[in-house]
Amino acid sequence: MPNLLEVEGLNVFRGATQVLKDLSLAVAQGELTALIGANGAGKSTTLLTLSGLIRPRSGAAAFRAADGARLQLTRLTPERIVRAGVVHCPEGRQIFRSLTVAENLRMGAYIRDDPAAVRAETDAVHALFPVLAERARQPAGSLSGGEQMMLAIGRALLSRPRLLMLDEPSLGLAPKAVDTIFEVIETLIARGVTILLIEQNAAMALEIAHRGYVLEGGRVTLSGTGADLAADDRVRRAYLGAAA
Amino acid sequence: MSQYLFQQLVNGLALGSLYALVAIGFSMIYGIVRLINFAQGDLVMIGAFTTLALAGSGAPWPIILAVVLVVGALAGATIETLVFRPIRGAPQVTGFIATLAVSVIIQNATLMLLSGQQRNFLFPAEMRRRVSLGGVSASVTDLVIIGVTVLLIAALFLVVQRTRLGVAMRATAENLMAARLMGVAVNRTILAAFAIGSALAAVAGLLWGGKFGQIDPLMGLVPGLKAFVACVIGGVGSIGGAMLGGYILGMAEVLFVGLLPPAYAGYRDAFVFGLLIVVLLVRPSGLFARHVDERA
Repeated sequence: MPNLLEVEGLNVFRGATQVLKDLSLAVAQGELTALIGANGAGKSTTLLTLSGLIRPRSGAAAFRAADGARLQLTRLTPERIVRAGVVHCPEGRQIFRSLTVAENLRMGAYIRDDPAAVRAETDAVHALFPVLAERARQPAGSLSGGEQMMLAIGRALLSRPRLLMLDEPSLGLAPKAVDTIFEVIETLIARGVTILLIEQNAAMALEIAHRGYVLEGGRVTLSGTGADLAADDRVRRAYLGAAA
Repeated sequence: MSQYLFQQLVNGLALGSLYALVAIGFSMIYGIVRLINFAQGDLVMIGAFTTLALAGSGAPWPIILAVVLVVGALAGATIETLVFRPIRGAPQVTGFIATLAVSVIIQNATLMLLSGQQRNFLFPAEMRRRVSLGGVSASVTDLVIIGVTVLLIAALFLVVQRTRLGVAMRATAENLMAARLMGVAVNRTILAAFAIGSALAAVAGLLWGGKFGQIDPLMGLVPGLKAFVACVIGGVGSIGGAMLGGYILGMAEVLFVGLLPPAYAGYRDAFVFGLLIVVLLVRPSGLFARHVDERA
């Protein structure tokens, strides 16, 4: 599969601190790529840079648009980036708590002008997460953590992602909700959605990832297929809880 | 109902309508950019003088109302584009001082242009009549004020609750980052909030002039401050809260003046700001602040 996204030599600062150091990675079309690493390794910053909320000091992030054009994400506004199909489901879910569940989904489709298709896809999201249909008129803030995550993913799907970036979708969720979320991620992969996944649950992430990158101190220190990384001694010791 | 009480009720609703119109603008702008726009009162003045200029031309009142809405919206959009957009992201106090500066500039430019002289401002004779119904009577002006305000607020709620722009405005007010990730062009949403809030304040100026009969370049101070109090009473950042705060303040003020001996009437502003202090002591986030369940 050709690469959908190619990141080259990204350097990002927050204040005086360099958070990403010469970071390069590639995401192949139709695959799940996992970013793993400790807190503060620069995983979230990577996604925020790709979605245009943070400007890098240098480096490039080329995204292959639907029409085949190569877009430099680092030069686009967040609005343009999401319209190009790079959809970021941010850390902490960031749903609109005072809006209803239905309004949150409507916000996911904010960029779209094809109401018939939006309705059909909203039904598809409801089929994937029936609880969102049951609670459509309730304020999103009244949902449980797992339900909020489903809403965040459903909302992101309505932006019609060509690349879906998920930041810690299992964080803080009950084990059963984590299972649901991972099942949905596998369903999406089976449907051909390309996913860039950040996960603190490295074992689960590497199990379903085609490819993975390990970030340490803002650099990529290891990369390989999901299976290779899961078998790597350094990864096993540092992230999978194997005995040293 | 006795005529006296009815009169007080209509009076309070009319005054409350004026406060509500200005307060809603405060709240919409604060909700999205976390900025208390102290130039809001000056848009009341701009609306009043626009009305005065148009009334002389003999244009029909619905047209005047529409023009005042447009002038207010344009003025608000201009202020946002020229002053507030360039300082976006600066510390909150910078924005606060900038709104005061805008207010001072508008007031002084108007003083230079039109002098500080008070102008008589009269609605046409048929709007200054009183109408009677079932033993009670009310001034047409008050009824017009209440009617126009109710229509505008209903239209605003329709926009905010139903349209894509309205949903995006509420979403942006709650979580700016997430709204940007949905593809909301935040600057345009902020511009819309300024335009709508300022248009409502300008209409309040039209109605204010009609109710009190005189206008001058510094007239925006009192409605601006009182609408701010109304906002705080209702809970800053919520449109419904601002509206209710406006009506509560208007009613309270009228009842204070109407029910106490006339000797106290001069203390109405002291009463209003005393009410503010009490609310701040008892419910610092406002009477109607929304508390969405905070689950993790």
